[in-house]
Amino acid sequence: MFFLRNWGRLQSSLWLGLLPAAALLLLLIAPLARLTLTGFTGEASWPGAAPSTWSLWTPWQDDYLRWRVLWSLAQAGITCVLAFVLGLPLAWVLARFEFAGRTLVLRLLMLPFVVPTLVAALGVLALWGPRGLLSGWLGVNLQDTPWLLLYGNLFFNLCLVVRAGVDALGQVNARQVAAARSLGATPWRAFWRIEWPAIAPWLMSSLCLVFLYCFAGFGLALVLGGQRFATVEVEIYTLVAHELQLGQASVLALWMLGLTGSVALLYALLEKRLAAPNRVQPLARRRPQGVAQWLALTAALAVLFAICALPILAIVWRALDAGWKVWGTLLDAEVTAALWNTLRFSTMALALATLLGVQHALAAQRSVAWRTAAFLPFVVSPVTVAFGLLLLYPSWTASLPLLLAAYAVLAYPFVAKSMAAGLDSLPQHLLQAARTLGASPQRTFWRVTLPLLRPALRRGMAFAAATALGEFAVTLFLSRPEWATLTTLIYRRLGHPGAASLDQAFVLASVLMLLALLAFLLIEWPVSEGYERRRPAIGALPVGALHHA
Amino acid sequence: MLELRHISQNYGDRALLQDINLSVAAGEIVALLGPSGSGKSTLLAIVAGLQQPLSGNVWFDGQEITRLPPEQRRFALMFQDFALFPHLTVLDNVAFGLIEQRLDKSQARAKALDMLALFGLVDHARHKVWHLSGGEQQRVALARALITQPRALLLDEPFSALDADLRASLRDEFKTCIQAAGMPTLLVTHDEQEARAMAARAVRLVDGRLEALW
Repeated sequence: MFFLRNWGRLQSSLWLGLLPAAALLLLLIAPLARLTLTGFTGEASWPGAAPSTWSLWTPWQDDYLRWRVLWSLAQAGITCVLAFVLGLPLAWVLARFEFAGRTLVLRLLMLPFVVPTLVAALGVLALWGPRGLLSGWLGVNLQDTPWLLLYGNLFFNLCLVVRAGVDALGQVNARQVAAARSLGATPWRAFWRIEWPAIAPWLMSSLCLVFLYCFAGFGLALVLGGQRFATVEVEIYTLVAHELQLGQASVLALWMLGLTGSVALLYALLEKRLAAPNRVQPLARRRPQGVAQWLALTAALAVLFAICALPILAIVWRALDAGWKVWGTLLDAEVTAALWNTLRFSTMALALATLLGVQHALAAQRSVAWRTAAFLPFVVSPVTVAFGLLLLYPSWTASLPLLLAAYAVLAYPFVAKSMAAGLDSLPQHLLQAARTLGASPQRTFWRVTLPLLRPALRRGMAFAAATALGEFAVTLFLSRPEWATLTTLIYRRLGHPGAASLDQAFVLASVLMLLALLAFLLIEWPVSEGYERRRPAIGALPVGALHHA
Repeated sequence: MLELRHISQNYGDRALLQDINLSVAAGEIVALLGPSGSGKSTLLAIVAGLQQPLSGNVWFDGQEITRLPPEQRRFALMFQDFALFPHLTVLDNVAFGLIEQRLDKSQARAKALDMLALFGLVDHARHKVWHLSGGEQQRVALARALITQPRALLLDEPFSALDADLRASLRDEFKTCIQAAGMPTLLVTHDEQEARAMAARAVRLVDGRLEALW
């Protein structure tokens, strides 16, 4: 009987997991397997492609490709170092000082998570690109230098490190610090001996993510890398889309898969070491005292503003500066079609992603393996996914169901992760109380679990919606010309020479940005549940939130 | 009458409960004492139907109910942390069980309001539960438990989150309520003073076995 009950539970888990499992298998694992096969055999199946002279080791033997791989690793590493060096002091200031607008700053730190990659890339261009606001003013030309890409990387990832740092510092137990101080440690020594060991694992795990995002990122590198500083992902895209060298591309993709897989494994190991936070008494925040502390606060906010806010403001500025004529082009048939495509693809993908995500989270409650599986779409770069799909389902590459399914698979982990975190933090006593008050398991789900998880669901959906709206890589690989979305249209505009098309790109980018913001506000903002506020912020960090499509 | 017969349970490889036998008569309060980690809460969860024992049976009024799911037992379980639903108002928390008994929502609320009046909590009916003090929250939890007219009451360290003065006064209030309702009541506590104040009979859980205290 006991066995039967467990079997019943297992069965319901299996049923719930069926759809997400099928999605992962057909849209992620099978394409990756196909990609691996092509990579190993080196066979190119594209009609008219040159015969392959490639082996698995070519990326390390060929000077050009070796540079691509090494630069991809280097730019990710440099970004990590920069994000850490800037992020730790920023996090400390935000976690320990009390000042007007602190909550707002913390909320705004979420913004880069919803900004589409292409918008970020344009923001960097608006500041530092040709006729850029800052480059023009300072008279420097950063085209064909690594700085554009690194700046773009920082725009996204600094916020991630800062948020992780703020959350981690909030977990430092005030009593331990007080004990250290009373045992004779100076504030500085107390930081190194108590605070740092407590927050280091969190920061390291966030840096792993930063590395992963930068290494596997596509949009930023495509737009900002230029000829010399583009990454492997861009090279794969060029090989597939322009040179039709599928064999070569798959060898590169295989290496990327191996490298990102190793970093992801490292991340998983680090995450596992992060013990569940106990209820701690956090250190009290205080108002900055003295000139030095106010200066520190001002400097921190200035850095944050320069890296995370300025690019967005620059786009708005450039778009407003473009004039009515350019804004008038928004009514062109091509643009309205792209807008419509963006909206309908995103809506359909969001619906699908919500379904998959909720089912995955519920099924994953009792299985660690399932839980990890939700990370798969985060780990694999969108370019790899799109390329794998292209290889596996060549006849469906321009079909709407495949495109939407790919969108949904890339977006649903946000829902799954947010819901899983919500389920974890749900006090078991509440569910038990409902059961003893006469509610069946199904009724308990509807009356207690779901209402309590609504904020988590909404948060997950907000990120999923932002991902879908800003989706770029998969659309570029899999869609038909008439299915252009705002992102692909922006990219097309960038490809056209001339100031007019650049201005148009800025206008489109600000529209896209507005949409992403709107989706985010609609779903995420009015969370007024008081008990949410009283809960610790852990789990609020959308680990894996950035998807550098 | 609530009866436990030969209940055993493991925690991992360790034998947590071994051959537990206990009966609680209607209107009787039995205190279950023991150090933390001794398996008191596990035993309570088995009685409530939230856990299945490795072996042994739970009986109620001559009926074997070991496999009966918790929602069909009509045993009220009260928790140390009160376990009030944070998304509902005080009123809807109290009405929760009635709605599960398929009572109309407005009827359930009217009854819940009467119940709150008994506990002097009418003014808080429309508040969310986290606006209440610890003592008020525990009263809401008791009102929520009693309104369904449960067949037995299971209290898991119900006062341990409250301060000493409040604990003493709430203890008396609870005792009166429970005796008026005439249910068998199992009180889990690690506080012997509390056990003496509330229970006519007490047992202690030591090394997985029960020994009678008074």
